[in-house]
Amino acid sequence: MSDIKAISLFVRPEFENTGIETAVVGDIERRLSVWDRVSNMDPVRKFSVLILLVVSWELYTRIGDVNELMFPTFSATAAALVKAFVEEGLLTNIWNSLSLLLTGYVIGIAIAAGLVVLGVWSRFGSDLLTTLTAMLNPLPAIALLPLAMIWFGLGSSAIVFTLLHSIIWPVALNTHAGFQSVSETLRMVGQNYGLKGLPYIYKILIPAAFPAILTGLRIGWAFAWRTLIAAELVFGGQVMDTSGQIGNEDSNAGGLGWIIFANQMENQTPYVFAGLFTVIIVGILIENGIFRNVEDRTVRKWGMQKA
Amino acid sequence: MSDKAIDIYVRPEFESGALGAAENVDVERELSLIERISNINAVRKLSILLGLVIIWQFYTWFSGVEPLLFPSFADSMDVLWKTLLSGEMFEKVWISLYVLLLGYAAGLLIAAVFLMLAVSTRIGSDFLSTMTAMFQPLPAISLLPLAMLWFGLGIPSLVFVTIHSVLWAVALSTHVGFMSVSETLRMVGRNYGLTGIPYILKILVPAAFGSILIGLKVGWAFAWRTLIGAELVFGAAAGEGGLGWMIFEKGDNLDTPYVFAALFMVILIGLLVENVIFRNVEINTIQKWGLQR
Repeated sequence: MSDIKAISLFVRPEFENTGIETAVVGDIERRLSVWDRVSNMDPVRKFSVLILLVVSWELYTRIGDVNELMFPTFSATAAALVKAFVEEGLLTNIWNSLSLLLTGYVIGIAIAAGLVVLGVWSRFGSDLLTTLTAMLNPLPAIALLPLAMIWFGLGSSAIVFTLLHSIIWPVALNTHAGFQSVSETLRMVGQNYGLKGLPYIYKILIPAAFPAILTGLRIGWAFAWRTLIAAELVFGGQVMDTSGQIGNEDSNAGGLGWIIFANQMENQTPYVFAGLFTVIIVGILIENGIFRNVEDRTVRKWGMQKA
Repeated sequence: MSDKAIDIYVRPEFESGALGAAENVDVERELSLIERISNINAVRKLSILLGLVIIWQFYTWFSGVEPLLFPSFADSMDVLWKTLLSGEMFEKVWISLYVLLLGYAAGLLIAAVFLMLAVSTRIGSDFLSTMTAMFQPLPAISLLPLAMLWFGLGIPSLVFVTIHSVLWAVALSTHVGFMSVSETLRMVGRNYGLTGIPYILKILVPAAFGSILIGLKVGWAFAWRTLIGAELVFGAAAGEGGLGWMIFEKGDNLDTPYVFAALFMVILIGLLVENVIFRNVEINTIQKWGLQR
């Protein structure tokens, strides 16, 4: 503030605004109309989108004069779905697929757990695990099916083998990464309690890394489901024909993938669509019914994941 | 403060007897050569790989396993080398990658259109979330029989299923990413007067890039798996098949070394895409921006 310099500041001349109308007070609060309230409900909007899709499908196939064999109407598909459920024992086929999937999933998780435990225990195990997952995770499991069929013959063991491969690596990879990012504080708490070996893993590491484990389980499920359907599509017939599970023609051998493939071969396109719907329904049930519930009860309850 | 007798166990005092004098171990010492070498990550992992290869080779030599069932490592490498030199392998790889790129690009384009609709209108958002909820659990490969019916036996069918496997994964995770862009960033965008496509490109995409990248990665993984699966089924019907077809054909002919060579190639491409392409994109975007540590 010692030396004073003349600074020319531009000072805006004062002015008074004219011609502003009096502010209009709009509705600050008003009741929503019934229409507004209904269309604000999420399920209503989504359902109407679904219904709209179905209606446009039906109209397109009816009016567009599409060959029934290429693209059946929605009503034909729905009828086929109901018929397949009620009369043709589609549930057995679903069970065939799911039992294979479950077998593979359980064994796969057991093997992944073994690998991860090795990885926690020793540096060699950790190196082995990271090398194996880095190598084998990018390999699509379905590519191993031809080899599996050479090694295990045409049977469900070949499919289970490929399923194992599609489950082990994502689960092991995510679990291992989750374990490695468990904070040092939590580890020291565990060591303070004198936890070692297995108790240390399932009392400290698993709860702390549960979000990552859950992600691994989900990816594993997604890959396994895709692999299973693909395997059944390709080789389902051969596999089931020779595994000795078949009696006569009407028996429900083979899984969902096989249903889709066999019906396409016989040009039963409505049944192909019915099979696809079943695959979607089973997928949604497992994803939203099982994984969603596990998530609610664990990571969300524990406050590890929001929303 | 009521008068209740509380039993408190007081540990009797004791003096620990035989504590040996603390030994001064090496506080600091030079690591030996072996320790220093084995501390290098790459060396350890390479030696594990080498160990696996040696076990494989010795197993096939000494157990007398039928080479048609399980060829030795040397045979597989030999075939891989030969097919690489003769250009046969590159041809197959190119066919697969061509279909994959076509499907991936088309899938991304369609996903982008859906997302634009979803961002601009509520009905678009509902439409997208309903469609992704329906189609995300549907394995793309199961559409293959239908695709064959509609598009015939050829590349269009393969591209169709590849699109299906990319589209929903990318759309789902990008949509979720867009929805979780913070209100602050959105308001910054509106303050700058951004609307429509510039708003999406300049605000939403950079802010949600982490989840977009996850979507791209998941989409790639599904597409790669679907493509190999689809080629296994009918790749040859198009006249020339890709890697998946090679695996199937050679497996059927019991040319097992070729199967292994093709599997190696599949792994190699997977590693390249994941660790070179996506890793570099990650380093140059979200890690540089500090969105991910």
